[in-house]
Amino acid sequence: MTMRRPWILLFVVGFLVASPFIGPSLDGTRGDFVFWSLRLPRVLLGFLVGGTLSLVGAAFQTLFNNPLAAPSTIGTSAGATLGAVVALIWAGSDTVVGLPLVSLSAFAGACLVTLLVAALASSGRAQVHQILLAGIAISLAASAISSGLRYTTDLNTLAQSVLWSLGHLATINYGTVGVVLPFVVLVVVVFFTQIRAFEALSVDADRARSQGVDVRFVRALTLGVGSLGVGASVAACGPIAFVGLIVPHIVRLAFGASQRILIPLSFVIGGAFLVLCDVVARTAFSGREFPVGIVTAGLGAPAMIWLISRAGRR
Amino acid sequence: MTPPLKIENLTVRANRCTILSQVSLALRPGDFVGIIGPNGAGKTTLLRAVLGLCEATSGDVHLDGRALGRLSARERAALVAWLPQQALSSEALLVLELVVAARFRFRESHAESKTAAMRILEEVGAGSWSHRRLGELSGGERQRIAIAALLAQEAPLLLLDEPANHLDPRRQIEIYRLIGALRRSGKSIVCVTHDVNLLRHAVDPPGEDLRVVGMSAGRTLFDTALSHSGLHEKLTDLYRIPFHRVDTEAGSFLVPAPGPGEPAR
Repeated sequence: MTMRRPWILLFVVGFLVASPFIGPSLDGTRGDFVFWSLRLPRVLLGFLVGGTLSLVGAAFQTLFNNPLAAPSTIGTSAGATLGAVVALIWAGSDTVVGLPLVSLSAFAGACLVTLLVAALASSGRAQVHQILLAGIAISLAASAISSGLRYTTDLNTLAQSVLWSLGHLATINYGTVGVVLPFVVLVVVVFFTQIRAFEALSVDADRARSQGVDVRFVRALTLGVGSLGVGASVAACGPIAFVGLIVPHIVRLAFGASQRILIPLSFVIGGAFLVLCDVVARTAFSGREFPVGIVTAGLGAPAMIWLISRAGRR
Repeated sequence: MTPPLKIENLTVRANRCTILSQVSLALRPGDFVGIIGPNGAGKTTLLRAVLGLCEATSGDVHLDGRALGRLSARERAALVAWLPQQALSSEALLVLELVVAARFRFRESHAESKTAAMRILEEVGAGSWSHRRLGELSGGERQRIAIAALLAQEAPLLLLDEPANHLDPRRQIEIYRLIGALRRSGKSIVCVTHDVNLLRHAVDPPGEDLRVVGMSAGRTLFDTALSHSGLHEKLTDLYRIPFHRVDTEAGSFLVPAPGPGEPAR
């Protein structure tokens, strides 16, 4: 295992460097523009967003000691979608201080739902699986409200909101990268400083408390910071399915369950995975963009199933 | 010397049900207290209350002379370590990672944690398993790893909850001998068990003694020495089935058996 890791990292970095060159030829007058202004920011943002979703998913799975915990299952994504739908219906394409209102509203929705779950978690009374179930319930409620709102709106807004909820990296520029970057840095720095607590928590929560981990604080911090990161990601690209849930499992199955490996590799491989999916999304159907959210699930699910069947045979 | 643990009039209520009622217990440094009693007597809750894992309704717990409520999680972890009743179940983790994780309270580098964890694994005779996954180990081996994790915390007071649970007789005796050795190395120990005879294996040389505290329905009924000649009578009262004292060459054992007036089944 240890021998294989540097090679995989080298491969990932190589792929990331090569990825903006993949696609229609960059020759001609528009080549520079396509490379620097369209493809490069897209690769950068894809890496940051994929890395954040997957890192937060890995941390949530450890925190709740549950393989199904992820931004999409505890309500963050559903909250963001609700925020976006509300903004699309009542504000359209308005902007506030240069940022699209849809993104701001999606960010607020993601944070609000996760804070609700975090408040439950830090009250200390609820059991871990109850918090997760509450997250799923809140998630379903938010989806129901979104669907209800969509049902009452006109076809144009309906189409826009459905497209938004499929996830996209197409309308990206360096401004978006600049807005998302501070949140990504926050998540990475905070989660990396909590690795020792995650290690103790991955064994079991009561043991971790007896070993000196302030479990309530770590839960509130991880949920709070995680929701900021996921909120920013979803606001920029829409809710991208499967990355936060599946990539941590892929990393665990391929490299082992140690937090010291899981946390950093979830970020790097999650980032590379979303860039890969985006390359597929923009090149596989020539001349036509495909929503990246469909590709992540389309590639992620078979990879996951293959790894599970291999792990079962070992 | 400051007592490593002092419990005064501790009462714990949950959902209108009293789990512990006015329990008091004090340990001197190096004390070994075995807590026995029927299921539901409140033994596990007593340990959890000392760890701050369940809230006391009234009463005080002092660790090394300091009030439990005023200690941070890290400070508390420096004074007391716990071996829970539930066996370790993180199958995918490496043994070494598990013991490293138990050193959370130390502000040290990962490399320092690893060196310490390795040393402790050697001490409990599990050095060669350090790079195996927990899922590959047997129940007895896992319990040894759990004890290594317990020791990795380097706390002077150890709370053990059924340390020989689910082990075969030979492994049970091995674990209790190991616990006896820990006491002789200077640890203070509170050990919850159903089997008072197992406590004997922690006593060596035989002249050494330990305290046996009997609990029932959230109260302490007695606090006596393991060598007390009338212990079987106290057990009879505690479990409400007759206990007999059987003297053998290897020492005397207390066994439950139907007595006069109790129908043989």
